[in-house]
Amino acid sequence: MAFPDDRRYTDQHEWVQVQGAAGSPTVVRIGITDHAQDALGDIVFVQLPDVGESVTAGAAIGEVESTKSVSDVYAPLSGVVAARNDALTDAPETVNSDPYGEGWLVEVTVEDGDGDPTAALLDAAAYQALVEHS
Amino acid sequence: MTARTSPLHDRHVAAGAKLADFGGWSMPIEYAGGGVLSEHTAVRTGVGLFDVSHLGTATVRGPGAAAFVDSCLTNDLGRIGPGQAQYTLCCIPDGEDRAGGVVDDLIVYLHADDDVLLVPNAANAAAVLARLADAAPAGVTVTDRHTEVAVFALQGPRSAEVLAGVGLPGQQLSYMSFAETPGAGGDEVTVCRTGYTGEHGYELLVAADRAGALWDAVLAAGEPEQIRPCGLGSRDTLRTEMGYPLHGHELSADITPNQARSGWAVGWRKPAFWGRAALLAEKEAGPARTLWGLRAPGRGIPRPGMAVLDAAGERIGEVTSGTFSPTLRTGIALALLDRTAGVGDGSEVAVDVRGRPQPVQVVKPPFVESHVR
Repeated sequence: MAFPDDRRYTDQHEWVQVQGAAGSPTVVRIGITDHAQDALGDIVFVQLPDVGESVTAGAAIGEVESTKSVSDVYAPLSGVVAARNDALTDAPETVNSDPYGEGWLVEVTVEDGDGDPTAALLDAAAYQALVEHS
Repeated sequence: MTARTSPLHDRHVAAGAKLADFGGWSMPIEYAGGGVLSEHTAVRTGVGLFDVSHLGTATVRGPGAAAFVDSCLTNDLGRIGPGQAQYTLCCIPDGEDRAGGVVDDLIVYLHADDDVLLVPNAANAAAVLARLADAAPAGVTVTDRHTEVAVFALQGPRSAEVLAGVGLPGQQLSYMSFAETPGAGGDEVTVCRTGYTGEHGYELLVAADRAGALWDAVLAAGEPEQIRPCGLGSRDTLRTEMGYPLHGHELSADITPNQARSGWAVGWRKPAFWGRAALLAEKEAGPARTLWGLRAPGRGIPRPGMAVLDAAGERIGEVTSGTFSPTLRTGIALALLDRTAGVGDGSEVAVDVRGRPQPVQVVKPPFVESHVR
């Protein structure tokens, strides 16, 4: 199980990575963790919000569905959807094979705040501890 | 309650299987390096090996054992002879609440007039055995062998080659017939041409203490065929593609064989079986709801418990099983639909997928062509 330390995590098993330099605004890329894809099993559908849609931290913004279950994707931060990974429409299994890379879900532009908006999220060690002690 | 485990449990753990509870048994859902999709595909195109030791096993023995079983369970044992097996149902007897409802669906192996083996579902084995033991005449003994016997399912178009490779009999068996290896005192292996996948296949019954060695031997013999150990996740996608009922979903105390289109497994001309009067009356009147298949071409997979809606958005039934079909690459489901809704093969209806009506087409299963014969 991988927990790369170049990004932050949520207790909803998502990862968040600042793209380029943090500032205002900041673009963050969002995906689900290796642990999440492993727990779901073979992913067959991914439903994501449209570009330009506003998302609110903690609210469901999409779904990842496997052969056996469906899981909501929650916005880790508030902002506006800047990009979505449409390659997942035809190849949802990429989320299984490369959850931290090509299997990313959306990018969100975070407008407000100074500095790194992901700073308050879990770091890799804290997320790993959460997974291993749950 | 601690989950019971298969005699192969340590092998499953070593193989990196994800385990889940099935009827009180901790069993593999899928294996590391596999996954539901690849395990499913192995069975449709090659061969897969399932541990289904959570299934119950019980013997009914003594003078008139087969006749006694025939007077309780729905199917007509007179249709088969020794060396053949039969799918049948244990229904709630007339006079009881929910008479005609299904206690369990099971396979009966007819060894002889005085020797019958039953393979019920894990969760229902105790209930079936208790009912039979209560009803058994003097001299007929019902014996639970659940933990003594391991059950494997070797399934797929290449299964006969693997069976030959491991030196087991059965390549010549016709559908639903079985053979035993020579042996005594529990050494024998029973091979039956049956399964729950829609593919050519076999189920193997072996003494629990010899199960590990046989499992290893089958996997080794299957290497040239690229055999995969398969978990119960793919067993479910495979059986759903065939429209096979699963007790607790398409059959239950509240869902009769008439409703589930399992009337073919009822010996209607028999003078007696549990639930006969209730089931005949329902058959005569026409069941209030019947089982259909649903094909979901869009995103969002119908799941058990979701409502089926007509064009006006009125509820006309409920999804009993639903999954992604690895063969069709789309959502498929089984659903009980009200007769009054007037739907049939080809009707367009919808499933309420988490608040979003998803268009689906009513079809008659199987979703994928059967290759069992």
